Amino acid sequence: MIMRADIVTAILLMGVASYLCRIGGYLFMRYVAITSRVEAWLNSMPIAVIGAVLGPIAAKGGASEWLGLVTAIGMMRLTGNDFLSAVAAVAVVATTRALPG
Amino acid sequence: MAEFPRPPFTSRGLQAGAIGVWPLIPALAMYGVAFGVMAKTAGLSTLEAAFMSGWVHAGGAQMAALQGWADPVPALAVCFTTLAMNARYLLLGATLRPWFSELPSYQSYPSLFVMGDGNWAMALREHSQGRDDAAFLLGSGLVMWTTWVSSSAAGHAFGQLLSRPETWGLDFVLAAYFGTMSVAFLRATRDLFPLIVGVLTAIVFERLLPGAWYIGAGALAGSMAGALRHDHAR
Repeated sequence: MIMRADIVTAILLMGVASYLCRIGGYLFMRYVAITSRVEAWLNSMPIAVIGAVLGPIAAKGGASEWLGLVTAIGMMRLTGNDFLSAVAAVAVVATTRALPG
Repeated sequence: MAEFPRPPFTSRGLQAGAIGVWPLIPALAMYGVAFGVMAKTAGLSTLEAAFMSGWVHAGGAQMAALQGWADPVPALAVCFTTLAMNARYLLLGATLRPWFSELPSYQSYPSLFVMGDGNWAMALREHSQGRDDAAFLLGSGLVMWTTWVSSSAAGHAFGQLLSRPETWGLDFVLAAYFGTMSVAFLRATRDLFPLIVGVLTAIVFERLLPGAWYIGAGALAGSMAGALRHDHAR
């Protein structure tokens, strides 16, 4: 069995949800102007999502994860290069995990 | 209603997008490989991983959904996660309305399917510089889509060599990527409010509920906090 029915169903629904987000705002703007409150809500969404993903990782993580996050944010501030910063952060996590103790 | 001119939609614009997007490709390929490894760890087959990348085409949503993957798959929870992770596309899509409004549907809606954060920003930059060929988004998006699907499949295959992806820090790729993104989205002190509410809500919900619900809960609470704060400030 290469593809399981429940997995394919979940992926199909995820794709519909994803595409609805992509076209939803575009369709919406055809009829209604986005008010400043709606805009503030949508504008706050990315940073809220980032916080929701990183919060539990930081809460459950040890020194490796904290150093990784500091590296990602610090490198991004210094270099402005997201690829370089993400690679450096992953390298810091991998290296500190390999350290004994 | 404002009148917008119909923009050109040519093969030259398609080409400009496909060429212009290359700086984004190495990071995207690494990200796709990491997703493939994660998908293997979660128990997906190569075909399922490639299908998810091709059909859903949203890295953050796919990785977050895998965090809550179980047997059987909690379809409702992963869909809610997808909506929460991709809600920002509502705003991205909305910003394209003036430029794309006079395009026929068979040009605008496929373009929106391959819209990502990176090529959306690039396309808007092109537009602001007077290059209004609307095919730029589709051209850049098709190269990103192809990279995403093929690197996902490749990562799934390499996953057999990496027996313990956490040794290589690959379970941290999403956190690292989001850490770098936080710099771009923290533009002002007021952005700290939705961030902190999102962090605290997610930590609480992650302990209370199984699966991926905590991301949606944190996103909803944090973004609503941002909107309330906006009202308060006015």
